[in-house]
Amino acid sequence: MPLSSSEAQAALRDIAKTGRASATTYGYRQASPHLIVWGLIWAAGYGICYFRPQYGVVWLPLVAIGAAASTWLGWQSKSRTAQTYDWRFLYTAIAVLAFILALFAVMPPRTDAEISAFFPILVALFYALVGIWTRGARMLFAGIAVAALTLSGYFLLAPYFTLWMAVVGGGALVLGGIWLRSV
Amino acid sequence: MEQPDATIHQPLRLKIMAALKALPDREQIEFVRLKALTGATEGNLGAHLSTLEQAGYIDVEKDFDGKKPRTRVRLARAGRRAFEAYVEYLREIVDASGSTEKPR
Repeated sequence: MPLSSSEAQAALRDIAKTGRASATTYGYRQASPHLIVWGLIWAAGYGICYFRPQYGVVWLPLVAIGAAASTWLGWQSKSRTAQTYDWRFLYTAIAVLAFILALFAVMPPRTDAEISAFFPILVALFYALVGIWTRGARMLFAGIAVAALTLSGYFLLAPYFTLWMAVVGGGALVLGGIWLRSV
Repeated sequence: MEQPDATIHQPLRLKIMAALKALPDREQIEFVRLKALTGATEGNLGAHLSTLEQAGYIDVEKDFDGKKPRTRVRLARAGRRAFEAYVEYLREIVDASGSTEKPR
């Protein structure tokens, strides 16, 4: 028996709703290991900078390790599917790098704490934007949480800010990654 | 399409197909996640997955994740085509009625 218009509309709504939920869950599972990797990188980097402030250069190998791990995770995911590499990821990374360089040229950070706070806030902005555009409430919440924790540590716990970021910032990312995976 | 595809037409199977279609091509989804997405019971979901598999619309892969048995499902090419045709069929009905309401 052919469907009525209202039945067809209801079916289309169901399809859209289930498809959105499926895509969001898939996105969470893709993002989860990246959050965990970068949470561990943060914990190591900020932790070393708190206990051995003279070793700030440790961020260079740590960021390289994080970038390599994220790239590997991305390729692993792509190899399971028919997707080809989306060059927009590379262009986005270049645009962000150019933005940071331009920003620091115009407004150079005056203290290590400012740099330490800037990057987590930038990361938080990305999570929030991804959450808003993909309707991923958990990603949005992760972004808000990282920004709030960073700002509260920066303004309220200045002497212990890097330790705060190691334990709470890194821990929040790791827990956020586990939380996304649990959906 | 004069008549709806009877295999996809059933509401739970339609949800299963919609959940699979939202994934990238060849991506699999685990049974437990599909169960959460569709809100189906284990037995019900298993029965409808068998129907879709017999129709050639999905591929079901069973293996072990460590010692835990794992079932993963993927949309087959025939399933993708059938689902797209079914959605087109629904849109034609809505368009023919002249309704302006868009599915959210």
